[in-house]
Amino acid sequence: MIKTNILHSIGGKKAWTALLVVLPLCLFLASCVDEDEYADNPKGNLEALWHIMDEHYCFFGEKNIDWNAIYEKYRVRVDDGMTELQLFEVLSSMLGELRDGHVNLYTSFDYGRNWSWHEDYPSNFSDTLQRRYLGTDYKIATGMRYRILDDNVGYIYLGSFSGTMGAGNLDDIMSYFLTCNGLILDIRDNSGGLVTSAEELAARFTNTEIPVGYLQHKTGKGHNDFSDMEEQRLKPSKGIRWQKRVMLLTNRQVFSAANEFVKYMKQCPNVTVVGDHTGGGAGLPFSSSLPNGWGVRFSACPMYDVNKQSTEHGIAPDVNVQLSPDDLLKGEDTIIETARRLLRE
Amino acid sequence: MISKALPYLRQLMGCLLLMLTASATAQTDSTRIRTSVNMVGFGTTNILDTYLSQEKFTGAGMTFLNITQKERPGKRWTTIMQQEANISFADDRAELTEEMEAAYSIYCGRYITLRLPGNWRLEAGGLLNGNIGIIYNTSNSNNPAQARLSLNVMPSAVVSKPFTLFRQQFAVRYELDLPLAGVMFSPNYGQSYYEIFNRGNYDHNIVPTTFISAPNMRQQLSIDWQAGRSWDLRVGYLGNYQQAEVNHLKQHIYNHRLMIGVVKRFRTVYYKR
Repeated sequence: MIKTNILHSIGGKKAWTALLVVLPLCLFLASCVDEDEYADNPKGNLEALWHIMDEHYCFFGEKNIDWNAIYEKYRVRVDDGMTELQLFEVLSSMLGELRDGHVNLYTSFDYGRNWSWHEDYPSNFSDTLQRRYLGTDYKIATGMRYRILDDNVGYIYLGSFSGTMGAGNLDDIMSYFLTCNGLILDIRDNSGGLVTSAEELAARFTNTEIPVGYLQHKTGKGHNDFSDMEEQRLKPSKGIRWQKRVMLLTNRQVFSAANEFVKYMKQCPNVTVVGDHTGGGAGLPFSSSLPNGWGVRFSACPMYDVNKQSTEHGIAPDVNVQLSPDDLLKGEDTIIETARRLLRE
Repeated sequence: MISKALPYLRQLMGCLLLMLTASATAQTDSTRIRTSVNMVGFGTTNILDTYLSQEKFTGAGMTFLNITQKERPGKRWTTIMQQEANISFADDRAELTEEMEAAYSIYCGRYITLRLPGNWRLEAGGLLNGNIGIIYNTSNSNNPAQARLSLNVMPSAVVSKPFTLFRQQFAVRYELDLPLAGVMFSPNYGQSYYEIFNRGNYDHNIVPTTFISAPNMRQQLSIDWQAGRSWDLRVGYLGNYQQAEVNHLKQHIYNHRLMIGVVKRFRTVYYKR
């Protein structure tokens, strides 16, 4: 009797051991983590692109876009006999419906884009006019071109945030302008770059930690699947910080990280934004790829100002000034001149 | 003079003998057997990471594997440690985009040895597995890379059997490591690394896993040939199938490697005084 019980016990233990090994094995075989592949033909590439945007793009609600209707509109334009160029035209047009400068289609022969956010407006920037102020003997450091104008106002032009900001470089630049009455920071035609560079520079213009906006990310495939808004705070730089007035010059080409920079600077003391409305671009872009190897970029993480308002469509200046048609004849940049006048007041 | 010293010499010899006898009875020793395997392998890789791309990437890669197993004669428990370093390069279907994958894995565990009929040996137990690695996509912008960090508990079993063929000594070995539970790092579905590391915003980035959400599996099949007096040549297959579906993101790295290496056994005797 005892032997039988022991045998049953041993048999039971073996059965449990076998179950603990076999069950995960079966579950493994049944649960391979995989993703369905779209066919590498024009229809398959349209499906792949539409689904990538459907599951990852973050501004459908903000822009009131019916993405299903756009699918119905464009799927009839695709057939498997079309050429690469024709497919590119159809897919680019579909993405163009989003009216987003962060949405692009990359191929070996072209770059699908929608630049209406600046192409539909005056440029409000002329490098010919800028040369009248910068001259040719300006200084260059950490991506900035700078000099002191003849009315003892410092002038910095920063055309891109694509490079990293050197802390030592910024200290030297701030020191150079120490005796100036004020500073003009011109970021017209700056289409963005590294958000961390924008933060690094903005940190030179505040002495205290300040809230500057909010950030979200998608938590699922649904159009409304977002995280809570996380507050963005700007900490003051440990280097030399500017204490006098700043005129920040903007135009419609100010986009993406440059737009973020304007958002931060608007919360800093002594800063006045002069020029035209910025171009926006408040979605941190991610990338993916299609079956035919074409790359796609799209806005994935929306960013907001301190009032939780989206900055996707741009930021209005404090003083709205446009270049005048006479400016080239006069050799004067109205936006720079307005900034100089405001600094004198 | 010598005759006068003899009694003293006899006493001295007696003391020495007594000391030697005393020290001999006070000594104990223990023997440890250490098996060390070093292998290199080449083979195919299949990578999917939907955080980086919806596409699967296929290519080739290389793996280095070190196995150290320690046992004591007559004891049923053995300790094992495996270190695996891997690097792979893969292309998408169109061969226009490349992904690179690199990882280091460590497996530490204990087995209990059971002798089965037919001279089979079964070692069953568990492994604690740690992984660190990266997948890098050469084309992406703000999501160019995925960091991989995980800790897992894996039930494991090894069956082996020596055999003779053409008067040569061989041994066959099969190891199977299965998923059970663990923890891993993952960004949330659309969360950028900028938000996690620059802004310090945590959102379900340390994720507990089970054999359902992270059904990893690893297996090795090898044949050892006693090529020399003190070493064996081992050839075999290593399959490491790492996969996870967390935060609505899917990831898999399937590595198949043909491995070749050397097995050496060391016997160490420890004396205690």
